[in-house]
Amino acid sequence: MTRNAIRPADAVAYGLLVLSSLVVLVPVGWMLSTALKGSDELFSQTVRWLPQNPSLDAFVRVFTDYPFGAYFANSILIVTVSTVIAIAFAALAGYGVTRFHFRGRGSLMTFLLLTQMFPSIMLLIPYFKLFQSVGLIDTRTALIIAYVSFQLPLCSWMMVGYFRSVPTELDAAAAVDGCSRLRTFFQIILPLTLPGVAATAIYAFISGWNEYLFALVLTSSEDKKTVPVGIGQLIGQYRIQWNDLMAASLYALVPLTLIFIFLQRRIISGMTAGAVK
Amino acid sequence: MRTTRTVGMLAAAVLAGGALTACSGDEADDSAGGTTITVLSSTIVESPEGEVEQEIADEFMAQNPDVTIEYIGVPSNELQPKLVAMASSGTLPDIFFNDPAFAAKSVDLGAPADLDEVLGSEFVAGFDSQGVEQASVDGTMTFAPWYGVPTGLIYRTDWFADAGLEAPGTWDEFIEAARQTTADTDGDGEIDRWGVALLGSADLSGAGRFLPVLRSFGAVELEADGEGWATGYDTPEASEAFQLYGDLVNEYEVTPVGTLSTSYPEAVNLMSSGSTAMMISGSNGIGAILAQNPDLTGKLAAVPVPHAEGHEPAANLGLGGYSISETSGQKEIAGEYLKFLLSKENQVKWSEATGRIPMRSDALDAIQAAEGDLAGFVEAIQYGYAPPQAPFYTSVQIAGTEAYQSVILGDATAEEAAAAAARATREEIERAG
Amino acid sequence: MQSTRDAIAGRLFTLPVLVVSLVLVAYPILYGIGLSFFDTNLVNRWDFIGLENYARLATDGSFLNSILVTFGFAFLVVAGNLVVGTCLALLLDRGLRYTTVFRVVLVLPWLFPEVVVALIWKWMYNPVYGLFNADLLAAGIIDEPVAWLDDPNLALFAVALAAIWKGYPLVMVLVLAGLQTIPRELYEAASLDRAGRLGKFRHVTLPGLRPVLLAVVVLETAWWFKHFTIVWLLTSGGPAGATSVVSIDIYERAFKNFQWGDAAAAAVVVLVICLALSAIYQKVLHRDDS
Repeated sequence: MTRNAIRPADAVAYGLLVLSSLVVLVPVGWMLSTALKGSDELFSQTVRWLPQNPSLDAFVRVFTDYPFGAYFANSILIVTVSTVIAIAFAALAGYGVTRFHFRGRGSLMTFLLLTQMFPSIMLLIPYFKLFQSVGLIDTRTALIIAYVSFQLPLCSWMMVGYFRSVPTELDAAAAVDGCSRLRTFFQIILPLTLPGVAATAIYAFISGWNEYLFALVLTSSEDKKTVPVGIGQLIGQYRIQWNDLMAASLYALVPLTLIFIFLQRRIISGMTAGAVK
Repeated sequence: MRTTRTVGMLAAAVLAGGALTACSGDEADDSAGGTTITVLSSTIVESPEGEVEQEIADEFMAQNPDVTIEYIGVPSNELQPKLVAMASSGTLPDIFFNDPAFAAKSVDLGAPADLDEVLGSEFVAGFDSQGVEQASVDGTMTFAPWYGVPTGLIYRTDWFADAGLEAPGTWDEFIEAARQTTADTDGDGEIDRWGVALLGSADLSGAGRFLPVLRSFGAVELEADGEGWATGYDTPEASEAFQLYGDLVNEYEVTPVGTLSTSYPEAVNLMSSGSTAMMISGSNGIGAILAQNPDLTGKLAAVPVPHAEGHEPAANLGLGGYSISETSGQKEIAGEYLKFLLSKENQVKWSEATGRIPMRSDALDAIQAAEGDLAGFVEAIQYGYAPPQAPFYTSVQIAGTEAYQSVILGDATAEEAAAAAARATREEIERAG
Repeated sequence: MQSTRDAIAGRLFTLPVLVVSLVLVAYPILYGIGLSFFDTNLVNRWDFIGLENYARLATDGSFLNSILVTFGFAFLVVAGNLVVGTCLALLLDRGLRYTTVFRVVLVLPWLFPEVVVALIWKWMYNPVYGLFNADLLAAGIIDEPVAWLDDPNLALFAVALAAIWKGYPLVMVLVLAGLQTIPRELYEAASLDRAGRLGKFRHVTLPGLRPVLLAVVVLETAWWFKHFTIVWLLTSGGPAGATSVVSIDIYERAFKNFQWGDAAAAAVVVLVICLALSAIYQKVLHRDDS
């Protein structure tokens, strides 16, 4: 078999991947096209992909007419901190649940799920009251705490899943070598689950980055608002600022895409690490 | 293992840094002294509404250097969650947005102060009487109306002139106009222009257009009846209104496809793209259409919603305004700000920029005298009705939307749909009773 | 003695999660469950009425219908996400060239806020100036515009499609990571046993993915069962109730009608349904684990 020959199965795989990518890119392309249009061109009855008078005004307006700079700074701070905390807690819990036998393991995991199963609109008021009672309303700290609590359930569940797929024989071997539990966790087991940590961190970051309702209700002042709240404000009672909305959404995509590109490499490197072991 | 440690240290650093900045940034900055009036508003985050409102606030602060007006902007869709959260923990701002649909509930929460007291009855007398009526709950003025978006019929004056049509007054004239403006303009055998952008969506936007129509036939979806409530959804007049919606789509075919998912933004797009000739809308509709297609300037006008023979037009006034919270310690200053906001000069400025109609009599007179494209809506104000202040009113409105949707779909006759809407409404009345 | 030390260590490792969940899970849930026994506006009216809210819900036709609709919606979306997400993850795991590019492109929908996704799809579905009709008409597949969100038979599928577009990348990424943590030795061992491609998939890949799939399926079900934004913005529950999922019902009870007790009772019903579903999943997916 020469290097250039593509196996039929691979050809099919490529075909499917290209097709799926198209399904993804068409709406995204439309967003870009909308962001580049002037307001007079937004609603022509014929679908026009290329704007007649493309302009970058909307991309400039996002930062000049609205305080999106501050929104971005807030979002990055809040979501980074909450993601790091959530992943750290979840990894510890994942190790604890899969490596030790103690009563209440299962119920702890189920208990974590409860808020995920309760319509979040009904959680809004108790969260507000809780933060109000400790004076954290309209602070970034409140959002960090709230987001950790939203991210933890899936993170913990995922980490339990990934830790479970690492054979316990490794722990036993480490114990024979005289490793403490904590060192075993940090130096032997955790590195093996790095692909899982990366995937989970991506999840945590994205879900925090796009959270809207709680950010809106738990903060009030302009300088505490996050990116989704800023985007939500472009949808008015009677009018949607389409081009600004799309420009802001595309900006919001940038940090996420960068994080994803950065972390998805870890998924691969984790794979090789696993293979070498 | 070096990497692990580095990552760990990095994480710790980020954590510590985050906690520090989070804390230092959170300290409230009230060094200036003086008073701060907080205002919960949805218009402040809109454009161009927000710019005008902020200008007015800035001007007020310039005149009163010891007062700071601090807006809390929330998109209108999320106003209620925010307000309820604040009310339930006793932290309402000094001034908050209110409207007739929410007024009764806000009183139930004990939230708004009596404005007759705070603003003085002399100032209150300067509102249009319709505005005062709708802002009052059990005779208490709960909010100061600062704009209305009365329902009217927007139409294309150029197409009407071409077809030799007059603005419709009755529903028969409306149907005739719709049929004559529905056309195949490029001669390819496909209809490409329709008479009506009909809002058939199952949301409050759809309901907001349908209910004035219903009332212009002489039926009322919900009204106070002694101690309780009564519905006229299953009257013959109501059936005519449901029938009209069905007929516009299925019999006369004067609406583009997709009526059931046509809500306000879609209808505005239909008008601005030159696909439809008429649309029932609030006064902001003209501004919205023109913003998307400035070429239509001078080609749009409005009249009150058409009516059935022997009945009057009807208009949902779409009021919005500001309440002062009962818990505020600074009611006087908050009242001063509201009076400033509602001065004739500021009301006219606001109206010109936003297409929202003021509710101060002096400002209304000024707009009608100017005879712009908003004049038709000012005329519609006299036909305004107060939405019933029942806590379950939303369900009643939604019941109406479900009924016209099933008539349009052909799932039910107008009478069956009307009966179903009445049944759903009576269930709500009973639950509340 | 070993087991006592074990238990203590295990508890210490899980302590942070336990603390967070006690404060931020227990209180809100208890508050919500508590509300469901009251007739209340959350401020100055708190009338204890026992199970009355539940009794009313049990006879409320529109609520029961919304539960049914929600089952349909959640099933469509979770199944769609699982199938599309897992398939794409397997494709991306083949080690083809340009995989990184595909991986980044395919994850994009996940990165958008739900509000934006809903607005974009609403525009694409628009019968007059939307993309679907324009393309399908041009391609000659349909000969007159279809009002996708108007037809009670189509609307639920149309809404679910938008939700799947938004939802599959999460499954894809998590499964992709799950594939990496399956030890290569297991595949080598399977090769020695002369297992074919399909055999390896069934006996190595699937069991290896089981813990991850379990977590994904449990959480996905819970999320989509109480999903609100996309449905609300696309159809608001219409046409004629065809997409009135239970979270819309709850939203209207709470924030439009201010019937907080009713809303809380409906939320508790959702909680119980999701718990039951997750218990079933855990039984089914764990069965041949041990």
